[in-house]
Amino acid sequence: MNMQTPRPHRPEGTETVTLQSVSEESLEKIQRLKARASRGLFSMALFIAFSIGALRDFDFLPPLSPQILAILGTPPSANMISAALMLYSFSAIILILSRMMSGSGSYSGIAHVGYLAAFYTFYHFAGVLGENFWAVFAAGTTILGLESYHVWTFCAEEIKKELESPAEPGSNNGDGQGTDE
Amino acid sequence: MLYSLTARAIVPVAVAVTGFVIVCCMLLYSVMKTDLVNDAINYEANQANTIIKSTRYAMLKSDRETVRNIIDNIGSQEGIEHVRIFNKKGLIMFSENHAEVNRYVDKKTAGCISCHAGSVPHATIGDMERARRYTNGKGAEVIAITAPIYNDPACYTAACHFHSSGQQILGTLDIGLSAAPLLKTLSVMRGRMIVFSIMILILSVGGVAALLRRHVFSPLRHIKEFTAKVNRGNLSHELSGISGDLTDLAGDVRGMASQLRSAVEELEELRLSRKEIEERVAVEGDSV
Repeated sequence: MNMQTPRPHRPEGTETVTLQSVSEESLEKIQRLKARASRGLFSMALFIAFSIGALRDFDFLPPLSPQILAILGTPPSANMISAALMLYSFSAIILILSRMMSGSGSYSGIAHVGYLAAFYTFYHFAGVLGENFWAVFAAGTTILGLESYHVWTFCAEEIKKELESPAEPGSNNGDGQGTDE
Repeated sequence: MLYSLTARAIVPVAVAVTGFVIVCCMLLYSVMKTDLVNDAINYEANQANTIIKSTRYAMLKSDRETVRNIIDNIGSQEGIEHVRIFNKKGLIMFSENHAEVNRYVDKKTAGCISCHAGSVPHATIGDMERARRYTNGKGAEVIAITAPIYNDPACYTAACHFHSSGQQILGTLDIGLSAAPLLKTLSVMRGRMIVFSIMILILSVGGVAALLRRHVFSPLRHIKEFTAKVNRGNLSHELSGISGDLTDLAGDVRGMASQLRSAVEELEELRLSRKEIEERVAVEGDSV
């Protein structure tokens, strides 16, 4: 029996298939996936920028006029906002984990940045942002970290599938080059 | 490393559990801190009312010496940072710090501004709005509360007739207590919550990771190493020590390797016998 020659060990994630064997369409898809994988970092950067403003209690923004404050009305109590934050964190984590389990590639990091910014705003208007800033920051770091990891691993898998799939119809892939596990 | 099966199984769970526990502990601490501070303010408000009631008789008798004595005794207690009574105009009439007697207080300070923000000061206000927290000149954290001394018929019908009936508030008691016991309680509570959270995380994440490693990842790694060796041509290696639900998978892989070994041995035997036949034919051919 003709045994295969031993394959050299390569670190995980290295693309061993030569790019010439990959069609242009696949290349484009790979580039799109790489761009998508970095969306998580963008959302995290946006969130950190907003958190820096919240850490200073938004003192660089001009205060709202009494008329606008009257229109906005009485802010919710700190306990209500905290309960909503806990519920939101729990729901968001469950949804992200279920998307990971189902293999879905959908990403909603920007929406989470918006929700977290809203929590910062509510706490600011309730006058308790200083006491609750780190809770919102921890929730945001956890949720956006999970989203980033999810989209990163999803895109890495798709890129690997794209590199492993036949470059063109009828092309010879039985030369034992193989890809990394 | 983050692409491996182990990482993909454990990292999301670890991050999710750790993050959620931290968020909940922070929110819980914030709520409990608010409750403790509110309790401290309520306690101070009750103390202020007690002081006002204690000095009422002496004030009705216009006995300033007795009032001064009461204020001095209260001010000498441990935990009391300051206690003073000032009149409607803000002039300090009695204080445990005799140096500030006959001086005016600032209406713009926290605790005073709640009533004096507008042109007409409020006559009544809640306990929380009358409280203020600050660090005094000695560097001590203080929770102070102001309690108005209201006019009543006994006051404007007293023998001295000092106050008119139209005056609603005669003066204000301002008492400040050290926040050190409260801060110490908060610090102990914070430490306990941190320890509890760490224990929970170690048990949940560590326990799940250890069990997964024992029952899933280690057996899978052994099976993976075995198949890699078979793929490289090493058919003599044995796969053993797999237990649990992966026993069937290990058995199937072992079976396939065994069949492969048998096929290779059979092929080798056929090759040897063919070689013998060829040699025999060559020898017979030479002899003929």
